[in-house]
Amino acid sequence: MNGYVEAGYVVVLGTLSIYGATLVTRERAARRRVGAATSVAQPGVPTEPQVARGDAPVVNHGGVEDEERGSGP
Amino acid sequence: MLRDAALVAGKDLRIELRSRVGLNQIGPFAIAVLLLFGLALGPDRQVLAPASAGLFWVAVLLSTVLAVQRSYAIESADAARDGLRLSGLDPAGIFLGKTGAVAAQLLVLEAALSLGVALLYGAHLSGALVLVGACVTGTLGLAAVGTLYGVVASGLRIRETLLPLLFLPVVAPVLLAATKAWDEALAGTPDRAGGWLDVLVVFAVLYVAIGIVAFGPLLEDG
Amino acid sequence: MPARTVPPDRAAVALRVLGVTALVGVVATVWLGLFVTPPDEFMGNLVRLLYVHPPMAWVAFLAYGVASLASLLYLWPRTRAEHFDRVAGASAEVGVVFTGLTLVSGSIWGRPTWGAWWVWDPLLTTTALLFVLYLGYLALRRVPGEFHVRARRSAIGALIAFIDVPIVYLSVEWWRSLHQAPTVLNPTTHKTYVHGSMAWTLLLGFVSFTLVYIWLMAHRYRLAKLQDREDSEGLEVALAERRAEAVAG
Repeated sequence: MNGYVEAGYVVVLGTLSIYGATLVTRERAARRRVGAATSVAQPGVPTEPQVARGDAPVVNHGGVEDEERGSGP
Repeated sequence: MLRDAALVAGKDLRIELRSRVGLNQIGPFAIAVLLLFGLALGPDRQVLAPASAGLFWVAVLLSTVLAVQRSYAIESADAARDGLRLSGLDPAGIFLGKTGAVAAQLLVLEAALSLGVALLYGAHLSGALVLVGACVTGTLGLAAVGTLYGVVASGLRIRETLLPLLFLPVVAPVLLAATKAWDEALAGTPDRAGGWLDVLVVFAVLYVAIGIVAFGPLLEDG
Repeated sequence: MPARTVPPDRAAVALRVLGVTALVGVVATVWLGLFVTPPDEFMGNLVRLLYVHPPMAWVAFLAYGVASLASLLYLWPRTRAEHFDRVAGASAEVGVVFTGLTLVSGSIWGRPTWGAWWVWDPLLTTTALLFVLYLGYLALRRVPGEFHVRARRSAIGALIAFIDVPIVYLSVEWWRSLHQAPTVLNPTTHKTYVHGSMAWTLLLGFVSFTLVYIWLMAHRYRLAKLQDREDSEGLEVALAERRAEAVAG
């Protein structure tokens, strides 16, 4: 009988953990991609987008965070 | 609105009369479903006869999917939505017209299927009023939901798989209530079917109303 | 990756706090449920599953309610806003996970209790149908299109599907009441929660998993927002690169 109880808890907790982990991972990956892309699309960037991509992320992470602050979860 | 509905329904039904796709394809499909159920559940009439109502209605549900897809296929191929949109007809009218046409074809199909069920499963068709009442109200609800989801799925490459997925779960109450109503009628206690018929009426009214409102926006999109 | 010199914003902090709280709550529920609470006089240790299964069901239907409400708010012209569409989508995806877990946990509880992996209990049956309705809605959301088109279509699809749920529940309940069949919610199960620690554990379970739902929802929402940005910025990148090529070449 106890086997059922353990199985139930494992399935529920396991599934939720895996789902939560994949969500956070996907979110981080997307955030990185958006940060990189935003720096390229900045106006006034010289015709060397690779350089801009390299050193702009700091500023742009702030930009992304600013937007998030407004809307919130 | 009603004039446009009659226009669209008339057109759809005329196309069906000329092409006879419903007669030649959807009808035999439904019969095949009945036969396959017979094969699956065994030759014993003791098993089949009590299940007649349910099997009948499952066959109707599956046929509705085909009928709805056909209803949109007769518009100009993949430009179905564009054709309807540009026709200048009132969208609510188009919805009612298409729903009506699908419902009409299904009712004819159901008449044939009733005979099929009586013949193949040994069902005794008693309580005719309830049988017909359930068919009319149930079919109206099915046609309404089908036409609604049909316009969403039309013109999409995944329409063949998307439409059944969207449609079938939503009409589960129709299947349930219609089967129960038929069960009572077939069992000789048609007076007990009243509540189930109410469910069918509520469902039909609800989804026809939703369709009248929602069809326009759905038609515009995409 | 360069170090962030920007401090985390309030929303991210709140989210982290929420996550930790939810985690603590769940761990406490599990500990209490598995070890502290006594076995039930009727169903023995199986009652421990009833600290988890009802919260799953509650969240499944809560998520459905949130998705429906968000869809409605999106359709209503005065409250139309992009975030409502994202909320609906996020809630549906999280909801489908919890719905699946409701069915699995119910099934696991049911097997030793009733001897069957499935019974046509009205709540379980409605949950099963809700599961499929969710899947259909999520499939509909994936149909490509411009944001507003996709959002409106999904919202209408959501309402068509979700308005059905009460009808399904009432029909199935009536259908089942015609036959004597086992149920999850019956006087016996209600009696089990009378004992103090069990009732508190169940309450903790409801609260904790609701917090988990909110946390998952928030992350799913943020992911959706980022993906939409990515799509629109992908376009900007392509344009910028095209411009750069034109200047350089």
